[in-house]
Amino acid sequence: MESTKQPGPPVPKKADPAWLSIIPDDLRDFLNEAGDITRFAMRFFREVFVPPYEMREVIHQCYEVGYRSLTLVGLTAFIIGLVLTLQSRPTLAKFGAESWLPAMVGISIIREIGPVIVALICAGKIGSSIGAELGSMKVTEQIDAMEVSGTNPFKYIVVSRMIATTLMIPVLTIMGDTIALCGSFIAVRIKSSVSFTLFFNQVFESTEFSDFLPAFIKSFFFGFAIGLIGCYKGYNSKKGTEGVGESANSAVVVASLLVFVLDLIAVQITEFFGYI
Amino acid sequence: MRAYGEPIIEITHLQKSFGDNAVLTDFNLTVRQGENVVVLGKSGCGKSVLIKCIVGLIKYDAGSIKLFGKEVSSLKQHELDTMRARIGFVFQSSALYDSMTVRENLEFPLRRHGKKKSKEEVQQLIEETLEHVGLAHAIHLMPAELSGGMRKRIGLARSLVLKPELMLYDEPTTGLDPITAEEISKLMLAMQQMYNTSSIIISHDMHCAELTANRLVVMMDGIDYAQGTFEELQQLNDPKVHAFFLNHK
Repeated sequence: MESTKQPGPPVPKKADPAWLSIIPDDLRDFLNEAGDITRFAMRFFREVFVPPYEMREVIHQCYEVGYRSLTLVGLTAFIIGLVLTLQSRPTLAKFGAESWLPAMVGISIIREIGPVIVALICAGKIGSSIGAELGSMKVTEQIDAMEVSGTNPFKYIVVSRMIATTLMIPVLTIMGDTIALCGSFIAVRIKSSVSFTLFFNQVFESTEFSDFLPAFIKSFFFGFAIGLIGCYKGYNSKKGTEGVGESANSAVVVASLLVFVLDLIAVQITEFFGYI
Repeated sequence: MRAYGEPIIEITHLQKSFGDNAVLTDFNLTVRQGENVVVLGKSGCGKSVLIKCIVGLIKYDAGSIKLFGKEVSSLKQHELDTMRARIGFVFQSSALYDSMTVRENLEFPLRRHGKKKSKEEVQQLIEETLEHVGLAHAIHLMPAELSGGMRKRIGLARSLVLKPELMLYDEPTTGLDPITAEEISKLMLAMQQMYNTSSIIISHDMHCAELTANRLVVMMDGIDYAQGTFEELQQLNDPKVHAFFLNHK
């Protein structure tokens, strides 16, 4: 038997540079997190084009993200379209511009309300679900188990989910816009006898392709942001059930905030290119 | 003492720190073919970090880990994956994939390690392995429907399905009642004989150590504080080592 050994001298600690202490802790944490999220996004772009492609998992995640959100998105969009029309009618009636109702609601929904509302609903539903699922997988060592099984967990779990949210949010947005317009038609129909064809003719006569295109493009960015934040928060979850809850919660908060920031940037770009 | 084969793991002067916390400072260990080594240590002393360094889940700061004669830190990703196919890892929490059935959990490593097998071969291998751990009837169950002991057995079956040469167990009996813990320890020993594997078992369960270990290593302050057979360590006149045996009859 070998004799007992004694521990060696302690490893010297690496001190932070003095100038770092000038930066307030909260700001330093914010910058650190922003840097980590950027690195996480860069890793996605590095891995997404390199085989093997996890197509089966991507399709499965498209089903989870897209199909399973249909009811919630559809119902919310319908109510938004209905309420927006009912609320706008009295104001337009004051100016004798009731006939502009389909055009106004159409432009509002297609340009802004549709993409943002769908993105916010998905940030809540999908962002929290991804954050909690990945957080739970991390805490119970399932991500490590996957790596030991010869699978790149980032590619299998993160890349597939981020592709799914990036592709599915625009699809849900188009569907949400359509259902919201149907809701709007029902609200118009309550007070007047406008036909379905006339209502949609008025909507599409007043909207152009340049109204639809920027909104459609920005919904891809919303989808990417929701997937990115959900996966980042879950993948970097702290240990324990508290860590999982925190991941799910902060995924929703940060993703929602990012949707608004991206919307602000999108409107500036749209204006710059003369689409407003 | 029984003679063992060639060394399959050689760990020398291993160091690993997390920020200011030096977990491994100078750890040394050699495991030979057919040998079962139990690593004993207090909770949080770095036992799990050690086996995660061995499979490349955690990168070590300094020192060397030679696995099947190759330095782990110098392996490329595909070489590391090939190496991992020769290792079975049983996680402390069993780490079963919640969204998959027991059959899919066992199928996952078979599919991912790229060994081309027909559907029939895969099915036969899964059924055979589940039979060995006594849970053939659980093939269609979800992990949430399994008890703690069953989860451990399925975790063990998932690691054995690739017929590994080396098994790494991270606290295999933690959280189990004494009867189930003994069943799991005996099962590990039976599987070691059936599959002819070597093992590193991370534990602080002395009964498990007594049943399964050919040799014990006491990890303390980041080093391999003491090594020997169960009886040798039990008789060692060192209060730190003796503390592990206090509650063991």
